[in-house]
Amino acid sequence: MKGKVAVIGVGMIKFGELFDKSLENMIQEAYLNCLKNVQKGIDPKEIKAAWFGQWSGGFIGQGAQGGQSLASMIGNLDLSCSRIENACPTGGDTFRNACLGVASGVFDVVLALGAEKMRDKPSAESLGGAGGGGGAETGNHPSWMMGQGGPAIQAMHATRQMHQLGYTMEDFARVAVKNHHNGSLCPYAHYQFDITVERVLNSPVICWPLHLFDCCPQTDGAAAAIVCRADLAKKYTDKPVYVWGSHTGLDHNQLWDRSSFVSQPSVVRAAKGAFEMAGIKPQDVDFAELHDCFTNTELMDIEDVGFARSGEAAKKLKDGEYDMHGKLPINPSGGLKAHGHPIAATGLGQIFEVVTQLREEADKRQVKLKNGIGLQQNVGGPAFGAAVVNILSRSR
Amino acid sequence: MTQPVPASPMFWRFNTEVHRLVGIKCQDCGHISYPRTKICHECGSQNLKEYKLPHKGTIHTFCVNWAPPPQFEPPILPVIVDLEGGGRYGGIMTECGSPDEIKIGIKVEMVFRRMLTDRGLNVYGYKFRLAEEG
Repeated sequence: MKGKVAVIGVGMIKFGELFDKSLENMIQEAYLNCLKNVQKGIDPKEIKAAWFGQWSGGFIGQGAQGGQSLASMIGNLDLSCSRIENACPTGGDTFRNACLGVASGVFDVVLALGAEKMRDKPSAESLGGAGGGGGAETGNHPSWMMGQGGPAIQAMHATRQMHQLGYTMEDFARVAVKNHHNGSLCPYAHYQFDITVERVLNSPVICWPLHLFDCCPQTDGAAAAIVCRADLAKKYTDKPVYVWGSHTGLDHNQLWDRSSFVSQPSVVRAAKGAFEMAGIKPQDVDFAELHDCFTNTELMDIEDVGFARSGEAAKKLKDGEYDMHGKLPINPSGGLKAHGHPIAATGLGQIFEVVTQLREEADKRQVKLKNGIGLQQNVGGPAFGAAVVNILSRSR
Repeated sequence: MTQPVPASPMFWRFNTEVHRLVGIKCQDCGHISYPRTKICHECGSQNLKEYKLPHKGTIHTFCVNWAPPPQFEPPILPVIVDLEGGGRYGGIMTECGSPDEIKIGIKVEMVFRRMLTDRGLNVYGYKFRLAEEG
């Protein structure tokens, strides 16, 4: 993969409660923004294949989406196009599949696009549908999953992080404070306001030890990237961003098979694979967009990707190391905490941020680059056993 | 009136191993998994022996879920339990007066309970309660 694939354009829409936009509206807007983002322009017909990230179609009554849902919406019926669904890493994995399409040598220019309607259903239903309150249904054995959706699974990790690593609810709250601040500077974020540790700790308890402001919101959104052969990239832009590593990491599908509740082995595996492919180490990375669906998850992500040893992330966060102008900015976009989590759009929204930062076009939230390397990561699904890591660089 | 479901595929899958807590212990890596599987989830080995999960264990981790699915009265108490002799299992607590009684490391035991009613059919499974002394 390294040296073979380049990102030449990225596009997204402002994430939020987009009651006035359909799935199709969002797909088209993200796609058009992405085309406009290709600096020297591109004829849409040069795009020969696409990967379409989508989870919510059946959930909002539109049935399971296929490749045609994207191809038809962008008026490119000659596309070769598959739909990707891989739990919360759907967006990052859609990008990975597009990169593989180019790296394989079969296609020169391809599109990765993810779009999700989370708000067409009321919050409780939306959360339940996403596995969030989940498991009341009897598709699975009831005592296996009952009441153990996303918030409960992560809260059980948080309890263990407090017990085993000495983390506190204040430590978790500091993640929310940092990411809300960053999000206040990002025009694409769902939430663009600052909060305080006190406000987090005074917000309603969702799943003890996690409060409302420890959880990312349910959000609509869409995001896209155009990827091409690295040797063709300069034809489209003076500032291509190259893909160095891309890997999914997996772990058990059942929570009680898991070896640890202070670490997510899926993330460890994804990071290991991506770093090996890129031929670099965690300390070579300038900044990262990590999957902070819950505040405690970001602390685990930091440790599992290899940016800190187990039990160290909370102190480094408190010391400012992960602030926008700290030693290693984490989630300069504001992350899922500020953007929300429109499942298939989330990972591609993070890719948007990594590319925008590497091109030094992130305006008020621009981080300082040293090696010109950024990292994107997702984790989720049953038992949080699915993860993806993508590593991008300014140099080929 | 709710129409009972004449044949629920789920009940076909509730083989005796589920209600009798029959799982496997991998003879190669030692991983304990439940319910029964033909391939070890941890190492892929097919060298497995049936293993009956014990009813007792200690709480590995838990949370207090104030936003449970609609059928439940909040809060519910999901737990992950380290079982006696190895392996883990998860579920929710029952017969518990207050969330404050739940802590990592305390002893619990499995009890057979009605979990919910699905389209007229009672669905049974295991919950955990605080273990009696001794």
